[in-house]
Amino acid sequence: MATEIVKVTNLTAGFTPEQEVLKRVSFTANEGEVTVILGASGCGKTTLLKHLIRLYEPRTGSIRIFDQEITGMDEPEFNTLLRKIGVLFQNGALLNSVSVEENVAIPLEQHTKLSVDLIKRLVHVKLRLVELEHALHLLPSELSGGMRKRAALARAIALDPPLLFCDEPSAGLDPTTTAALDYLMLKLRDELGMTMVIVTHVVPSILRIADKAIFMDKGQVLFSGTLEECRSTGIEKIDRFFAEG
Amino acid sequence: MIIVQLIHNTLSIEGPLVIAEVPRALEEIERRLQAFKGKELDVDLSGVERIDSAGVSLLDEVTVRAAHRSITLRIRHVPKHAREALKIFSSRGRMEPTGPKRDTFFVRLGEGVVNMGRASLDFLYLIADTAYFSIVGLVNKRGLRKGEFVNQSVLIGMNALPIVALISFLIGFILALQSAAQLRQFGAAIYVADLIGIAMTREMGPIMTAIVVSGRSGSAIASEIATMVVTEENDALKSMALHPVRYVLVPKIYAITVTMPLLTTLSVIIGILGAMVISITYLGIGPKPFFEELRTVLYLRDVLTGLAKSFIFAWIIALVGAYYGFRVRGGSEGVGRVTTASVVASIFWVILADSLMGLIFYFGQGVEY
Repeated sequence: MATEIVKVTNLTAGFTPEQEVLKRVSFTANEGEVTVILGASGCGKTTLLKHLIRLYEPRTGSIRIFDQEITGMDEPEFNTLLRKIGVLFQNGALLNSVSVEENVAIPLEQHTKLSVDLIKRLVHVKLRLVELEHALHLLPSELSGGMRKRAALARAIALDPPLLFCDEPSAGLDPTTTAALDYLMLKLRDELGMTMVIVTHVVPSILRIADKAIFMDKGQVLFSGTLEECRSTGIEKIDRFFAEG
Repeated sequence: MIIVQLIHNTLSIEGPLVIAEVPRALEEIERRLQAFKGKELDVDLSGVERIDSAGVSLLDEVTVRAAHRSITLRIRHVPKHAREALKIFSSRGRMEPTGPKRDTFFVRLGEGVVNMGRASLDFLYLIADTAYFSIVGLVNKRGLRKGEFVNQSVLIGMNALPIVALISFLIGFILALQSAAQLRQFGAAIYVADLIGIAMTREMGPIMTAIVVSGRSGSAIASEIATMVVTEENDALKSMALHPVRYVLVPKIYAITVTMPLLTTLSVIIGILGAMVISITYLGIGPKPFFEELRTVLYLRDVLTGLAKSFIFAWIIALVGAYYGFRVRGGSEGVGRVTTASVVASIFWVILADSLMGLIFYFGQGVEY
């Protein structure tokens, strides 16, 4: 049986007492697989992802990552766990005031005792992996949307995390750049053995990368299973999503 | 052109009921509704040539207005071409557009008090986090942004030098000019040195520097942090197990703590030089007697008072800027809003702190002015 890297059970969350953004959400993400959380805009995908890295606190439910319960975990312990997790944000979220090289170096400088030379070398390796070694000294504002995403991906994998969370990696990208980014992520999964949890609503992207699909609708999980199962559920909303996407 | 007629119990509308005609049509209908005395009114649309979404909304609005006058409105003779538009655009039977819910005075007052309490608590948390990480950062550099102390010192200190110098010179110059005219009448022109020396050292130097730094660096701190929050850079830092206060704010606190007293000292010196220009050119008092007089009146405690103020002002500017930056809501509009608010707030707090410290120093030390 595959090892469960992420296990969410009955997660309920909301921003105001009257509002429930996530309703008893449960799913698992297995080791070495790409789990895609999909669904229409506003269904709670990004909110769910932000709960997984504790940017939001849930009301009830359990989130286990690497077999450790993160809800209620104290901050230093969670910070240690975060070093095993890479996060790619929707718009890249690179620090705008520093170069691409410095952005990718941040996790290495902060969480390792590597020498400056070694950090530089590692940054080059990561940037080469995302085919961005030529943009080393550029500022994020000088990059295109696709390049910014790739630079952010390089930063997210700087510490070789076994788990990668991605929020809408293909948002705002053209189909060709989206495909290139998808193949890059598959390469990372294959070469580095990463487990990935990816939030997206881009159907071609889902079809390319997903091993497992979690379909969300109005804050609830409508379906959870393999991509093939997801496409043949017969649930109208899911069928329409794939047909019209 | 739209024609509205009221004949007995029938309001007939003829012509194109489209967005360009709607304002006039509504005016006409309203006039006829006011004149109508019955309880039931038929609206005859058979003469409507065209209707768009604004025309349909007009009919909905008229229905609501009629209901407020206890008149029941019935739409009659809808032409075939208008039926589809009514079906698509009509909001009748669905949610009626309503304005924002108006809370009562006491509800708003209560919410205001609760929000103020929350804001104060958030500010106290920020102070606590900043104090903790600033002290920890002195011995453990991990979690701090490398090279940022120097960068921020240049931004906050070096780059503010010309404007602080210019403003201080002008303040000293103008204060001396204004007071010289009065003092000369009493043959006490030499006391310009006393007046400007004490005023610049204890009050004007620290406060003018603080106001300039609030406008330049306080707003920059607020907008930088707010932009980071809006663009998820803040979340990205958290996801890398980095505390935003430690990584972003603490280097700024170190930089402003070092540069503010230096800027204040410079401001005092240049302000006094500005006064000396007046003293030489207008009062005919040379540099030597000016500085000798200054030396007799200026004590170390005056200098220390000014420096103590500059430290407090520095922390106020950085903390208020950061507080507004971290609590930004919305996109770029929110960034602009918190930036403006932070400048106003930091200047207010600087002046309030100055007044309090003035009282403390005056009564606490028994300072003789």
